[in-house]
Amino acid sequence: MTTYILRRIIQTLVLLVVLSYLCFNLMTLMPGDPVELMISSNPKITAEDVARLREFYGLDQPTYVRYQRWVSTILEGDLGFSRTYRIPVSEMLGPSLKYTFILSMSSLFLSLLIAIPLGIYCALRPNSKFDYIVNLLSFAGISAPSFWLGIVLIIIFSVKLGWLPAGGYQTTGMVYENIFSEILDKAKYLILPVLSLSIQSIGRFSRFARSAMLEVMRNDYIRTARAKGLTERVVIWRHGFRNALIPLITIVTLSLSSVFSGALITETFFAYPGAGRLIYTSIIGNDFNVAMVAFIISIAMVLVMSLIADLLYGVADPRISYE
Amino acid sequence: METNNTLSQTKIAELETAQSFYKMVYNQFKENKAALFGLFTIIFFVIIAVGAPVIEWALGVDANTQNVFNRYKPPFSQVQASQDVRDQMVQTFYLKSPELAKDIETELLAKNLVTPIRPEDAMYDWVNLSPEKAIEAIKQINTPAKDDLIKSVKNFSSYHIFGTDELGRDVLMRLVYGTQVSMGVGVLVAIVSAFIGLLVGALAGYYGGVIDTILMRTTDALLSLPLLPVLVVIAAIDLQKVPFLSAITQYGNESIIKLVFILCLFSWMVVARLVRGSILSLREREFILAAKTLGATDATIILRHMFPNVIAPLLVSVTLGVGESILFEAALSFLGLGIQPPTPSWGNMLFNALELIYKAPFLAIIPGVLILLVVVSFNFLGDGLQDAIDPKSVRR
Repeated sequence: MTTYILRRIIQTLVLLVVLSYLCFNLMTLMPGDPVELMISSNPKITAEDVARLREFYGLDQPTYVRYQRWVSTILEGDLGFSRTYRIPVSEMLGPSLKYTFILSMSSLFLSLLIAIPLGIYCALRPNSKFDYIVNLLSFAGISAPSFWLGIVLIIIFSVKLGWLPAGGYQTTGMVYENIFSEILDKAKYLILPVLSLSIQSIGRFSRFARSAMLEVMRNDYIRTARAKGLTERVVIWRHGFRNALIPLITIVTLSLSSVFSGALITETFFAYPGAGRLIYTSIIGNDFNVAMVAFIISIAMVLVMSLIADLLYGVADPRISYE
Repeated sequence: METNNTLSQTKIAELETAQSFYKMVYNQFKENKAALFGLFTIIFFVIIAVGAPVIEWALGVDANTQNVFNRYKPPFSQVQASQDVRDQMVQTFYLKSPELAKDIETELLAKNLVTPIRPEDAMYDWVNLSPEKAIEAIKQINTPAKDDLIKSVKNFSSYHIFGTDELGRDVLMRLVYGTQVSMGVGVLVAIVSAFIGLLVGALAGYYGGVIDTILMRTTDALLSLPLLPVLVVIAAIDLQKVPFLSAITQYGNESIIKLVFILCLFSWMVVARLVRGSILSLREREFILAAKTLGATDATIILRHMFPNVIAPLLVSVTLGVGESILFEAALSFLGLGIQPPTPSWGNMLFNALELIYKAPFLAIIPGVLILLVVVSFNFLGDGLQDAIDPKSVRR
């Protein structure tokens, strides 16, 4: 167990180093480096000034030297400054991770809450009309692009009905009297993004729950339980559902891993200030410091969460051995 | 009671012969209504994509003509060309055949069909009349260019079944060409990544050892990454700065090539794992041992004896992969990092429609419906194939 965890941690670290180096290289290939941007904003700049600026920012050095410098400053705890907003990257990253977490978690809970009962209900009545319709809708949910679902939701609820705001995360200029009014206000902005994210995962989870439950209900011990004369409810929940939970936990923990990486498109589309949107806007806006840090940290989060998920899986099913 | 269970001779023969694998798959598949629906929808869209030029010719509108005075027209609307297009036509006519133009000018004035402020503007005034009046007027004039002029006037009005977009272009034709781009990218990515996955999986599964460890660690590492942020980072690269790839930018369609390349880079992992798994189990089978004993080379064993056994599951994963690739293409184009305008794709049409979602919600809905329909079809098809191929589902 300990060696397994150690090995996984080392693997994760190696992957992070390789990835950050690759990413650092990729960033140098994006249009516009910092000095080029300064040149474009100042037409009177001379060639010597450009050379001096390049030297000052270390841009004349080869990439691996710059990478070393960057890593050492990161390890000292200095994440650098955002060029667009002129504030430390750490100040931008913290809140965005928090917002992403809130969004992903609410969507995960909502979709599980709907999908698992739906899947089980279908598994208990396989090939019924209800099962067929749910299956059809699940397929549609999986196949619909989440941003398009977002557009449709906005058209319905913001444009036509005018019930919910089309984007953002709180009413601008609002002064909250107490915590409840704050939660109420922010929740209003969460509804549409959460819905558009959930529709997809409901489809995935319900199909998964259905097949897991179907698989379990075919086992001999279910027949034994029925033969013993147990009530149907006990058979389903105590004998069936408990065993169907194991594959379900796998897929839930798998989705847990992306809780921090965020839903890039949904966040961007709804102007929700999460980590995914931060990565996107900083890359589009040539804010490389922010882009690098946000990207690496959210990937690190994903890797750590998937490690935790693996360990949780072992807790849920003791038959799994780590060698 | 006597039951009538006598079967005809042919029926018995039919039941006694063993069905071939693909026959069995086919029989299973055609029972599945959803999968058939998927198959027919896909065929329909493939026909549209291939027949795009024919549709363009039949409707008489093309995908790129802009008409800024007729933006955001609702579906089923008749649209007139703007004044500059008409004036342009007259100007070229003057340049091409000055004498004819002069004649028409004088006749128009003589018959008092138009009353311009300056006599030289007669034809310009004529061309900006309503189409019925303009045709009426030209019919009264005796000129060899009559038919040509009537035809040009008729071309000024165009009919848009799905309306016009933010630049006044025909939405239907853009959707048709978008079908070409989106489905092309999806199919291409799925096929190329299947080949990469096949190669990686076969090497890892057959040789094992260090090769297996390296390849599978890479696969696992790539699988553990959050795909969309990674794709966004890579898609933002400026190809001009990559030394050996900058040549691609000369061809104009570089955004499509780039997108296919990026998507291929990150979609072979599932196939690789699947192929490795089946090759690992095939490796222990007797017929492989027999082939080895007979002195077959590694390449022969992999290509001739192993690959035919992985084709069926591979087909399923390619089919599902097409749907996924279409979704990712749409997502990246939607973020402005995929297919670049003016080349239409469903994703960037959605992105463009976003600008005026309040004014023309229709534009934002159709491309999405098409994406949904095609991706659902590929998923149904893949699922149906899966059920047909998996012998477990035969018993059920």
